Amino acid sequence: MRIRLTLGLPDRPGTLLKALEKIAMNGGNIISIVHNREQLTGGYVPVSLSVEFPSREHFERARAGIEESGIPVLGTESLERRIETVIIIGSLSVDRLEKVFEGRGEIISLAFGGGSRSPHMRVMFSVSSEDRETVLEALEELAEKNNCVLVREEA
Amino acid sequence: MIRCGIVGHGFLGKRLAKHLTNYKMRGLALTVLASSRGYLHSPTGFDSDGLPADITAHPRFKASSPIEVIERGLVDLLVVLTPTNVYSGEPGLTYIREALKSGIDVVTADKGPLVVAFRELTSLAGSMGVFLCYEATVGGGIPVFSLARHSLRGDRILSIRGILNGTTNYILSRMHFEGLPLDLALQEAQMMGLAERDPSLDLEGIDSACKVVILANALLGADRRLEDVKVKGITQVTSDAILAAKELGMTIKLVGSIEGGRLSVAPRLVRLNHPLCVHGSLNAIQFKMEILGDLTLIGRGAGESTVSALLSDIEWILAQKEASREGR
Ligand SMILES: NC(=O)c1ccc[n+]([C@@H]2O[C@H](COP(=O)([O-])OP(=O)(O)OC[C@H]3O[C@@H](n4cnc5c(N)ncnc54)[C@H](OP(=O)(O)O)[C@@H]3O)[C@@H](O)[C@H]2O)c1
Repeated sequence: MRIRLTLGLPDRPGTLLKALEKIAMNGGNIISIVHNREQLTGGYVPVSLSVEFPSREHFERARAGIEESGIPVLGTESLERRIETVIIIGSLSVDRLEKVFEGRGEIISLAFGGGSRSPHMRVMFSVSSEDRETVLEALEELAEKNNCVLVREEA
Repeated sequence: MIRCGIVGHGFLGKRLAKHLTNYKMRGLALTVLASSRGYLHSPTGFDSDGLPADITAHPRFKASSPIEVIERGLVDLLVVLTPTNVYSGEPGLTYIREALKSGIDVVTADKGPLVVAFRELTSLAGSMGVFLCYEATVGGGIPVFSLARHSLRGDRILSIRGILNGTTNYILSRMHFEGLPLDLALQEAQMMGLAERDPSLDLEGIDSACKVVILANALLGADRRLEDVKVKGITQVTSDAILAAKELGMTIKLVGSIEGGRLSVAPRLVRLNHPLCVHGSLNAIQFKMEILGDLTLIGRGAGESTVSALLSDIEWILAQKEASREGR
């Protein structure tokens, strides 16, 4: 899984190396490093790392290791996106549909069919692996409230 | 000689009876045929040419409750093939309960009793030291339980999902391939004898949900009931929606699943090259195993093929009896 880690690096030589070591020890493969020197706050330089980890457990171990060595982890974000397709049978307003994705996914395409007698829409969207289940559940709830059927994909 | 009775002399009962008349050499005689109105008893066992099409027309037909067959101790093994009631479990539930209490082995194709009282019946069988076999209740002739219990016993089942209802799968297939509307596909299924006159249990996903309950209870040690399954049927599925799936190399199937303790039945998008994506009235069941990975069984989920599952249960009971006799 690909993860963006933001570390608060104390402005001393060698600290980044320590963090990289913990990542490497846990199978992490670094894709990119961005130093935000101009954002230096309270002696910390925020550093943004994109890392590919073999699994969530590996990532969690690396994160714990980094924190134990005195480097605060300011934020993490999954960069893994999944493309999902659902068909919603029944009629549902696009506004309501879009609300579900606010801040946790993006509609890639919307296709309408079935005319006015038996309408449906096919929604293709991208979502992070973490938000996938939440988004699908929210869609299901929305469909149910509007007397529609959500047909999601069988993995 | 093991004396075997069939209660419920309908589609399956008649077909099974024909096979069982050949079992005398194997130490099993078919001695009772029963329906709602009474029973016919042949102490020496029916022969294939002596099998009546209508038991009630037979001069020795005894008009009374089939429960008498159990009370009078006329059989050692009872095959229960009564019509399904998924809410009360009756009439099969009473027959099975009374038979087990009397120390009679039971084989059944009736889902009702197992959906309503799975734990009660299996513990009763356990405490009485008799067999209760129900291979035919899920997936018709597909060997689901025997495969899981025998061939997969060294592994662990992580999840189960499947296309468990042939009627809805037939309807969805016709909608997919011919673009038929649901009501027309349903009428066709009824004409072909694939759907009941009242098809609501199939269309609303209840029949699939019953199978999900039996699978969860029998193979995953659960103690669940019908109300524990989140059920959505296919009544709202349109052929246009299926077309929209088709454009992406998918279709819509009614999938029952048991995953992480959650039981559900719902229409799902399934890729056309997915192993579960079978068409017509076929059923498909997929186990996710810890060591083996995915295993998918495909076969006829209803009709005459169901007799294969009934015979498999009967054979298994015969083999167990034989083994315990030899052990002594
Ligand atoms: N057919 C299949 O492909 C299939 C596959 C899997 C499972 N099953 C299950 O197997 C069972 C039997 O199926 P089937 O297709 O053979 O059904 P069926 O043709 O309707 O036969 C059921 C028989 O039970 C008799 N019956 C009704 N009430 C009774 C009662 N109170 N006591 C004793 N007998 C009674 C009926 O005859 P009378 O009304 O004249 O008494 C009828 O002949 C059902 O539970 C079904 O869901 C069937």
